[in-house]
Amino acid sequence: MKTKLKFLIKQSLSKKMKTKWFKVANIIIAIFIIGLANVDRIITLFGGDFEEKREVYVLDDTGSYEVFETLLSKIAESLGESKNFDIKQSQEDLDTLQKDLSEDNDAIIVKMNFDNNEYIKASIVSYDPIDTITYQIISSTLNQVKSSVILATSGLSEQEISSLTSPVNIEKKVTNESAENAESKDMISSGLILIFIVPFFFLITMLTQMIGAEINDEKSTRGMEIIISNVSPKIHFLSKIYSSTLFVVIQGGLLLLYSVAAYLIRGIISASGAMAINGDVAKQVTDLLNLVKESGVLDLLLSGLPIMLILFITSFLLYAILAGVLASMTTSIEDYQQLQTPLMIILLVGYYIAIMASQFDGAIFIKIISYVPLLSFLVAPVIFMLGQITLLELGISTIICVGFCILFFHYGLRIYKVGILNYSSSKLWKKIFKSMKQKD
Amino acid sequence: MLKVENVTKYYGDFKAVDDLSFTVKEGEIFGLLGVNGAGKTTTFRMIIGLLDKTSGKITLDEEPIDYSKTDYIGFLTEERSLLTKLTVKEQVIYYGILKGMDEKTILERLDYWLKRFRIESYKDKKIKELSKGNQQKIQFITSIINEPKLLILDEPFSGLDPINVEQFMEVIKELKKKGTSIIFSSHRMEHVELFCEKLVILVHGKSVLQGSLKEIKKSYRKKNIHIKADLDAEKISKTKGVLSVDKTAEDYIVKIESDEYIENVFKEIKNCKNVTEFRVEDPTLNEIFLDKVGVLYEN
Repeated sequence: MKTKLKFLIKQSLSKKMKTKWFKVANIIIAIFIIGLANVDRIITLFGGDFEEKREVYVLDDTGSYEVFETLLSKIAESLGESKNFDIKQSQEDLDTLQKDLSEDNDAIIVKMNFDNNEYIKASIVSYDPIDTITYQIISSTLNQVKSSVILATSGLSEQEISSLTSPVNIEKKVTNESAENAESKDMISSGLILIFIVPFFFLITMLTQMIGAEINDEKSTRGMEIIISNVSPKIHFLSKIYSSTLFVVIQGGLLLLYSVAAYLIRGIISASGAMAINGDVAKQVTDLLNLVKESGVLDLLLSGLPIMLILFITSFLLYAILAGVLASMTTSIEDYQQLQTPLMIILLVGYYIAIMASQFDGAIFIKIISYVPLLSFLVAPVIFMLGQITLLELGISTIICVGFCILFFHYGLRIYKVGILNYSSSKLWKKIFKSMKQKD
Repeated sequence: MLKVENVTKYYGDFKAVDDLSFTVKEGEIFGLLGVNGAGKTTTFRMIIGLLDKTSGKITLDEEPIDYSKTDYIGFLTEERSLLTKLTVKEQVIYYGILKGMDEKTILERLDYWLKRFRIESYKDKKIKELSKGNQQKIQFITSIINEPKLLILDEPFSGLDPINVEQFMEVIKELKKKGTSIIFSSHRMEHVELFCEKLVILVHGKSVLQGSLKEIKKSYRKKNIHIKADLDAEKISKTKGVLSVDKTAEDYIVKIESDEYIENVFKEIKNCKNVTEFRVEDPTLNEIFLDKVGVLYEN
């Protein structure tokens, strides 16, 4: 029977992986991931209007043009390549400049006047409405110019002005040593949540759909009768569970590979030369690893990884068992898709709770959910990395999941035995409840 | 030897098979006949283990049939049970390995059977691309690829033209010679009559007639007299013991209640002109079947 089980797993796996659609889907996924990770680089690579420098004419009677120019350039530079300004001081009057504005001339005119009460009054003129970011940059620059004008007229010395405008030097000290890097840990953990959750959500969806389609295919062609006349429903059920779980583990590995490739390609696109490529990629990787290491998340991740892996695989198995049982009860793929919906909703619940975990630190409800099978694999690892549960609690969550896996398989098999050779939906629930009572 | 002893199967309150018993010896061809819903497929499913029986006993060589025995059993289902997305080769390998065979042997035997059924060119074609008849051939090959000790054929001739029916029958007879016990069902009585040695007729899951074909026919009292002559059909039909007189393209068939009325008919025929044939025959299985099962039979 072991040979037959191995064969069925191999057959089922190759049926999924040797298709051209698997290859096509993976090429699309790889392109999508690489594209998503490099979307900003791709936009820059193709160029566009955002690259052009926008002319800013400044009419100033406050004597603050230099300050305005310096500040505006600095703020624009900090925002990267998307905002570029060509700043010029104009001696002409506002009306003359305004007349020149047209569709082809999208310059911005900034007029700064001295005011006895408010120090500076400004007006911004443009042909078309200016975008929010550009407005924010100019208004922020004007506010800072105003501060400098006030300070200049206050009679303070240059050193005093410098001290006044420089940021407060804050020394952060946390007495709880274990929470020393809490801020960066929170930041990194929040990022990791998405890295953890999204692929698992995608993989579980894939797993349940695959099992349903395969079982329904065998049922609808009546091939199931020949298969079950040669191997027991238990072997058949196991082969479906194992092959689908193996498939999603492989698919998960491929997703990881595409992500690494995306990151490397990002480095290559941003670098200008061969030496710089290596240097840039190496630097980015080192920076990220250092950040993860310093935050303490890496240590947490490594300490919990073996248990997390067991939890992930057990959860895959649990979903596969449930999907297999549901598929055995249905007589067509359409019926299965309807029956599968509650399973998808459970998955969505886990997804949202895991996302909310970083916002509700120490929430008892979320802690309880982290023990609930089908949800625990999304919630428990996230709150473990956020430091909200201990390794022991993560272990308990995994043990509960393993226990449920055994329990679901035991009772699920009883339904499966009856379901896979059932081609009618009449009295289905009666048959299922009856099968649950039958001993193996 | 397959032994089915007092087997009963209930689906809820419905009795699908009622105290059925029969044996199929080594190298014997056994027919399981009945109208649709008579319990034939249910019986096959119980033999192969797809269904649990409510009561009774089914054994192969004195042992209960479990998964240790199924490697030696071939099963052809009434409906197509092929995985249509696979190629012929993949399909036969799939089912062959589930029968505990190695790939090399499967391929050797597959080549032989494909050649035998003259469909070698379909080896790498997908099942769904084949015609209904060719799919049935592949299904038949998958059921005999393991050279089974017991072969269960549920409506094996479904969808086949007369030439292919002949081919199937040839193979079935060969398997019988090799010692395979064959149990099959069919709606086509002429097929059953051609090579079936023993049979059971089921009505509502219950055996209404059972035994060897020869004995059944012999014990069946009604006879058919084939007559070629210029006769008055109406007059003959009024003769004592005559049930009916049917005119065919070649002759008249006079059905009589039993042997004892042959003489009555003969006396009437003696007075007719151009008598070239007077032949007494056992009734066909189809007639026996219709008589036992009634008008419910659908050809």
